[in-house]
Parts: sequence; structure tokens; C-alpha cells
Amino acid sequence: MPFPPALARGLASLLLDQEAASQVEELHYNDAGHGYDPFGLHPDFVRFGYGFTRTLYERYFRVLSYGHEHLPAEGPCVVACNHSGSLPTDGMMLWTDIVRHTGRIPRAIADHFVPTLPWIGTLFARGGMVGGSRGNVQALLRAGELLMIFPEGVPGIGKHFRDRYNLQKWRVGHAELAMRGGAPIVPVALVGAEEQMPQIGRINLPKGLQGALPYIPLTATPLPLPVRYRFYYGEPIPIPDDYSRADADDPDKVREAAARVEAAVDALLKRGLAERGDRIFA
Amino acid sequence: MSPRKSRKKLTGVMVTGATTPIGEGLVRSLLADERVGKVLAVALEPEESGRTLFAHADRLVYKSVDLGRSRRAHNLLFGPARDMGIEVILHTAMHRDPSHHGRKVRSQNVGALRTLLDLSERHPTIRRVVFKSCAEVYQVQYDLPVLVTEDHPLNMSSGAPQWIRDRVEADLTACARMGLNRTEIVVLRMAEILAPGCGSQLFDYLDSAVCLRPAGFDPMMNVLSLYDAVSVLEAATFHEGVGLFNVAGADTLPLSAAIRRWGRMPIPLPGTLLNPLYRARRRVRGSEFSYGMNRRRFHYATVLDDTRLQEELDWRAHNPIAWPAASPA
Repeated sequence: MPFPPALARGLASLLLDQEAASQVEELHYNDAGHGYDPFGLHPDFVRFGYGFTRTLYERYFRVLSYGHEHLPAEGPCVVACNHSGSLPTDGMMLWTDIVRHTGRIPRAIADHFVPTLPWIGTLFARGGMVGGSRGNVQALLRAGELLMIFPEGVPGIGKHFRDRYNLQKWRVGHAELAMRGGAPIVPVALVGAEEQMPQIGRINLPKGLQGALPYIPLTATPLPLPVRYRFYYGEPIPIPDDYSRADADDPDKVREAAARVEAAVDALLKRGLAERGDRIFA
Repeated sequence: MSPRKSRKKLTGVMVTGATTPIGEGLVRSLLADERVGKVLAVALEPEESGRTLFAHADRLVYKSVDLGRSRRAHNLLFGPARDMGIEVILHTAMHRDPSHHGRKVRSQNVGALRTLLDLSERHPTIRRVVFKSCAEVYQVQYDLPVLVTEDHPLNMSSGAPQWIRDRVEADLTACARMGLNRTEIVVLRMAEILAPGCGSQLFDYLDSAVCLRPAGFDPMMNVLSLYDAVSVLEAATFHEGVGLFNVAGADTLPLSAAIRRWGRMPIPLPGTLLNPLYRARRRVRGSEFSYGMNRRRFHYATVLDDTRLQEELDWRAHNPIAWPAASPA
């Protein structure tokens, strides 16, 4: 680890005021015996992560959150969101928003290359991130966890500025796994992150290096701009009511469920863009 | 799923690898169990050392046999084992030193198990074979699940050392025969047993005052105590459940925490330096730890999922490792 849990706890106490500290005081997680869950989550790192991202959340991106009452207080759930921004700050802010409003620790499902990144992969895992293998997702849903999934994957976060707010190819795995795990899907649209670090090109890495990082983005700004983030949560799509677990083996049903999620996110995006207008920073 | 029933009494149990810590613990545990009539302890060590080890055990017979030699294995099973009414074989014998390789090692690791399974099929008293496999048979890779179930991919890499290849082959040899004949076969893929003399790479790694680990990575791992390893083998002896089971230990923690709890100092270094440094250590100190063999599991998390074992054999680990150092902050 970059630093031990005790230091994370100390840093968290410096970063969190009393109100925020109380939000993450009683975190429920599956302690495998030494303070960590089997995937490497540690509550002190969650508190530290919350303290760190909360500053960005409140002061830098000044996040507005609408409809978060749709997030379930317990039980398995998949939160599906559009992906954007060249850097994964959208994931960090969504994670913070969910912790803030539910007290649950969302498990971000990351692309396969993330666990291969030194320090970053480990730090994210301590905060609850899990590599995006089918087995990991199924195990987490069985354990009743709330998952954050970006069905567009890397193409979403790495798209050109001219493609902003156009959903990239919407993968279907989240719908299939929600069917198998008996989990509702909460669609979420994020408006704002597309403008934080406009991508104007990219350097694709040779195949041998792509395991560590798929490409290097060329962006108009070296750091994310202080745009305002707006999250719009939609009503949960009741996957367990509308589909049986056996439907997870029916490609048509899976595509249909994924298309419903995509349409819901797209509708929320359009609503969010209409409400925001040209107030990118305000 | 409700657990299956257990047998009440066994006329005899045979334990291979009886002079290793796990074999010895198993023999002593079986001798203390009134449900077992007789125990046939088998190992490579001479009969005198076996008698010394298990002195004053009147229900025990110790035999020094190289099970890699099929004729000797045959004579054992259709001699003393038949006469003692052995019903269950607990096969724990495996060559432990990864620096040893060749035909003889392979015959001990794979040939012995194949012979035992062959002979058990037509043996008049043997009904059940329990094979102690290990978690090292599983593939470790960044895009594979952290929680390893029994259907996880195996390490079939052609570049894997014989230590791994033999274990994968032995495991598959046992699995391939399940259900083909009347012999009940149980394969227990155990998490690493963190104890001396058990072939534990991690134990040898932690033996050093300073433990070098790849910078930026701190994977989760699961380890099993010797007591629990003996306990699950004994449970599998009496239970009627068959098949393949993961055996997870009571300790799941990151590598750095394991190092600290062992009272050692973790020093992160770039991964590329670790293989030559540990190779040099092996040459100088004659240790068994091979970084090359453990490189992936020092980067990516692997934790055994033993749900199946809990449901079918009604067993779970209860005895954590006795970590030498106090709980780190």
C-alpha cells in the first residue's frame, strides 16, 4: 500500500468535519477478518477517500444531485451511468454522491487494466473498486452490494470532444448480470464532465503496452476545469420483476434490458442538458 | 443445500506423507478419534524414524514406501492396507521443494496418485480417496475474478515450473476419475498452509527479516492454518460428500499486512528487481522461495471461495494463523 490504514484514518480525520465524519462512521462492509473485505476494501481508506473527494465534490465541481432518493438503502443494485471527462473524476464524484446520500459504499466496477496500475489500482481497491470480471460482479451482487457500472467503458471516457453527450456503444453485461443477481438498475446521467477536459486527440499505445493503459489522451487542458457536475438519477428499472434469472441466458432479453437502461440514461442526459443550458461553470 | 451424512465408524484409514507436519498432525488426530479403527501411516522416511515419531500408538502401523514405484504401492495396498481393512486413503504426499525436478519428482507427485486411484478401483476394502491439492493450481491474472471458485481457470501455462505443472496434472488426474467408478474421490484445493515443512512458498518468503515486494501492489491473499488443514482432511474422511472443494483459511489479508503480522519489514521495490534478488537469495541461502513462481500472485488478488465446501461438507475454517507480531496499526 502507499500508506498503512492508520495513516488513512489520520488523514481522514483531518479532511472530514464532524458532519461528514458521522456520515462515514458506521460503514457496513464484509470484514474478512483483518479489517479488509475479500476484494481489498478497508473502511479507513473509504473514509480517507470520502474526505479527499468531498473537497472536490463540494468546492471544485460543486456537484448538484437530483433524484438520489431512487437509490435503494439496501440490497443488490446496479447504478449505470454515462462515462466522460478524460480522467475518471466522474466515477469519483458519483462514488462520493452515493456515499453522501445513502451511507453505502458503492463498488465501482473498473476496466480490466485498472488493477494493473501500480498504486492507483491498490488505492482504488481499498476504496471499494473491483476489476470488471464477471465473477467479481456476480459475487458482489450475491453479497447485496451496490455497484457502479459505466456500460460505455473506456470508449465513453475517451471519446472526442465533438462526440460529447452522445452515448458510445452501450455494452450489455450489466443487464445480464443484474438479471442473474436479481438486482434493479438505477440509471444515472452526469452532465458537466464532458467539458472538464476536452479531448482533441489520442496516442494509441502499441498492443504490448495496452494491458497497462489503452491510450494516452491529448486534451485541451492539462487538468480538469472547475465545471459544475449535475447528477440525475432515474427511477429504478425493476429487473427482478420484469425478467427471470433464466432470461439472463436469452440474448434478446438481455439486449432489451440494456436498451431500456441506455434509453433511460439518454433521456436523463437530455433533461439535464436542457436544464443546464449554457451554464457550464455555474 | 443440506450437508450429506457422515460415516460413524471406519475400520482403517491410510495417510500418505505421514512424516510431514500435516501428515503427522492428521495421523495423531485420527488416532485420537475413536471412530477410526486403525491408521496406516505411509512415508518415504525409514521405518525407525516413523516408529520414533509415532511411538506408543498401538492402533498405528507405519510403512516406509516410495509410492512413485507402482509395484511397491501395489504391495502396500494389497498387503497391509487390505489386511487392516483400510477404507479411506488420505493422500497428502507431494514433493515440496520447487528447486527439485525431473522424472522421480514427477512420479512422486503425479504417478503415485495415479497408481493409488488405479488400485483403489479394484481394491476390496478401499472406498474413498481424499487428495490434498492446493490453490497454486489456479491461474492468477489481472482480468480474472478475485474470488476463486472451483471452476476458475487452472494454470496450464507451458512456462510454469514443474512444481506447478505436477500439481495441476495430479489435480486433474483425480478430477477426471470422479464418477467413473465406485471409488469416492474428494479433491481439496487448499489455500496456502502457512506453516513450516508444508511446502509453503509464503512461509519461506516470510522467513527473511526483510521482505521485498513489488512497489505499488498489495494483493489480497488467503492463508490456512495447519490446524485447519488437518481438520478439513479429517472432516473429508468421515463425510460422504464427494467432488472438488476449495478450502479457504480463516485469514484473508493483503500481502503487506501478512508481512507486518509476521513481524517482518515490507520493502517495496520495482517488480523487475525482485526476481534477480530472490534468485540470488536462493543461491546464497538455499531457500525454497521462488519469486518467479509467485510473481503474479504478488501483484493480483486471489482469495479462495469455499462456499461449496461449507454447503456440502459443512466445514469452514475456524482457526486463524498464530501471527507472531501484534496487530499492526
